[in-house]
Amino acid sequence: MESANTLRQGGECKGGVLAYLERLEAQMNRSSRKSEELTVHTKESSQRTKIHELRRQRDKLRAEVKRRQARIKASLDNEDPNRTVELSEQEDLARQWGNVKDILQAYRFTGLSGKLTSRGVCVCISTAFEGNLLDSYFVDLVMEKPLRIHHHSIPVFIPLERIATEYLQTDIQRFLFSLCEYLNAYSGRKYQTDQLETDFSAFLTGPLQRNALCNLLSFTYKVDQGHQTFSFSATLLYEDLTAALPTGVTVMCPGAETSSARWEEHRASHEMLFRTKPLHQVFASFSKQVEILDLSLVS
Amino acid sequence: MDENVAEFIRRSILKIPLCEMKTILKAWNFLSEDQLQTINFRQRKEFLAQEVILMCEEKCARLDDMALLDIVYTQVHRHRKLWNVFEMSKEPGEDVDLFDMKWFQCSFKKILQRALRNVTVSFRVDGKNAVWIRIAWGTQYSQPNQYKPTFVVYYPQTPYAFISSCHLKSNVPLLHQALKVASKHHQIVQMDLRSRHLDSLKAIVFREYDQTFESHNSTVPLQEGNLGLDMNLDSNIIHENLEEKERIHRVTQETFGAHPQPQLEFAQYKLETKFKSGISGGILADRKEPLRCLIKFSSPHLLEALKSLAPAGIADAPLSPLLTCIANKKMNYFKIRDK
Repeated sequence: MESANTLRQGGECKGGVLAYLERLEAQMNRSSRKSEELTVHTKESSQRTKIHELRRQRDKLRAEVKRRQARIKASLDNEDPNRTVELSEQEDLARQWGNVKDILQAYRFTGLSGKLTSRGVCVCISTAFEGNLLDSYFVDLVMEKPLRIHHHSIPVFIPLERIATEYLQTDIQRFLFSLCEYLNAYSGRKYQTDQLETDFSAFLTGPLQRNALCNLLSFTYKVDQGHQTFSFSATLLYEDLTAALPTGVTVMCPGAETSSARWEEHRASHEMLFRTKPLHQVFASFSKQVEILDLSLVS
Repeated sequence: MDENVAEFIRRSILKIPLCEMKTILKAWNFLSEDQLQTINFRQRKEFLAQEVILMCEEKCARLDDMALLDIVYTQVHRHRKLWNVFEMSKEPGEDVDLFDMKWFQCSFKKILQRALRNVTVSFRVDGKNAVWIRIAWGTQYSQPNQYKPTFVVYYPQTPYAFISSCHLKSNVPLLHQALKVASKHHQIVQMDLRSRHLDSLKAIVFREYDQTFESHNSTVPLQEGNLGLDMNLDSNIIHENLEEKERIHRVTQETFGAHPQPQLEFAQYKLETKFKSGISGGILADRKEPLRCLIKFSSPHLLEALKSLAPAGIADAPLSPLLTCIANKKMNYFKIRDK
C-alpha cells in the first residue's frame, strides 16, 4: 500500500524507484511464473497426450500381435488341408501317368503294338500260341515315300521281302497282318516242337529231326498201352507257313508185327490226332492214357 | 586204323593249342568221358598226341571220325579261313521249302561222289540252324587230299552259304552245283563280300547287327544326345566348336547306328574311271582310257575305324557313301566305273 502511494505521489523517493523496480520485478516474476506454469502446463498436457497416444499405439500393436498370432495358428491349422489338396493332385497325375505307361506296355499283349520313333514307327509283333506268350519280333519303319524298313529282327527264313514287295507300299495293314500270321504260325510250330523235345522226350525213341522253320518234323516214338508197347515213326509236313497244324501227316509202323488190326487202329488214330491237335497236346493225351491205364491196373 | 588217318589226327592234335585241347576233344565226341579223364593234358603235345592216337586205335577211328575232328577244329578256328558269301535263288512261285537235313546230306554227297569218284564229304550240324560241310577233293585216279579241304557253312531255308576259298578252282562249279541241287535252288551267285570273320558275315547278310529297337517295354533308356561326349564337366570351360562336334556325332550315329559294327578286315575299291583334274596339261589328264586303280582299306575292325574317322577329326562328316554303305549293301568289294 505504501509503495503504491509513494508511486502516485511523485515517485522520486528512493523507496519509490526501488520499490517501483521491485514492483516490476515482482510483476515480471509473476508473469514469468505464470508463463512457466503455462509452459509446464502445456508441457504437462502435451506429455499427457503423448502418453495417451503411445498407450493407444501400444494397445493397438498388442492387439495386432495377438491377432496375427491367432491368424498364424489358424492358418497353420488351415494350411494342412490346402497342402494335401496340392499333394493329392500331384499323386493323381503321377498315377494317371503310370496308368498310361502301363497301358502302353500292356498293348504288347494284343500281339501288335508300336512306338513312335524319330524317323517313323517301331512295330512290335508279339507272338503267342494257346495263351502262352512267345517271342517278340520288331520291324522299324521309316516314314518316307516310299515307306521302307530300316532294320528288323525277323528271322531270315520268314519271307519278309516277299511280303514287303507285295503289301508294304500299298496296304500297310495287310503287310503287318500277313507278317503276324507267318510269325505266329512259326512261333506256334516252334513251341510245339520244343515242348515235344523237353516235356515228352520220354516218348521219343530217337532224335527229333526238325528244321529252322519247324515245318518238317520226323521222329520215332513209342506208346505203352496195357501190356503192349506200340512204336511208330511219324513225319509231319507243314506246307502252309501260316498254319500251326500240319498239312500232311504220315505215321508208319516200323517192324514186323505191323499187320495186326490193333496196330492199324492205333496208327490211324494217331495219324488223325497229329492232323487235328497240336503236337504236344497229342503226347499229353498219350501220357494221360498211360496214367488211366496205370490207375486201372492198380485198382 | 589207317596210317594216313593216324597221321592226320596226330597233326591235328599238334595244331590245337593246349588250352583248347580238352574242349575240342570233348566236342569231337569220339573218345568217351572216361578216356578223356585219363589223358594228361599237361604233358608235351607230342606225348599227348601219341596217347590220343593209341585210344583212337583201340576204337578203330575211321576217315569220317578224322574228318569230324577237322570240322570241330575249324569251327573253333574259323578265322583261319577266308570265307566267301554266296546267295542262292529259287524260281518265283516255288513250293514251300520243306528242308530235310538227311535228304540234303544224302543228295549233296551223291552228287559229288557221282562226279568225282574220290571225294570225302562230312557233315556236322551246328545248333539247329547251320550245317558245316567238309569236302576233301581227289581226282579219278588219286585219293582225296585231306590237308586242303573246302568248308561250306550252309543255313538251311535261307539263300545263303559261306564257302572257304577252294585251292582247286576246277572243283568250284561242281561244288556249286551240288549245293544248288541239294538245297533245291536254281541259281547260285557269289556276293562281293569276303572276310575271315564268319560271324560278322552272317550278321551282315542276315541283317542281325542292329538289334536295338525302341519299345514301351524296354527298361534301358535310349542314350541319345551327348553319348560319349564328356563335355561341360567344368562350367568354366566352354568348347568353342561344341556345335560342330555335336553335329558330327549326330551324323555319325545316323549313318552307323548306335550298335556295335560287324567286324571286317578290308574293303577294296577297284576304280576304272577317267582321271579328273583341275590342272590341265598334267601327265594323267586328258587320257581317253580310264585310270585303273585299286584302293584297299585294311583294319583289324574296319567298320569301327570308319565310324571313328569323323569324330576323330580325320575326315569330314558325312563320310562318302561308298564307305558307309558296306554293311547295308552287303559288299566290301566295289567296282567303280564312270557313269
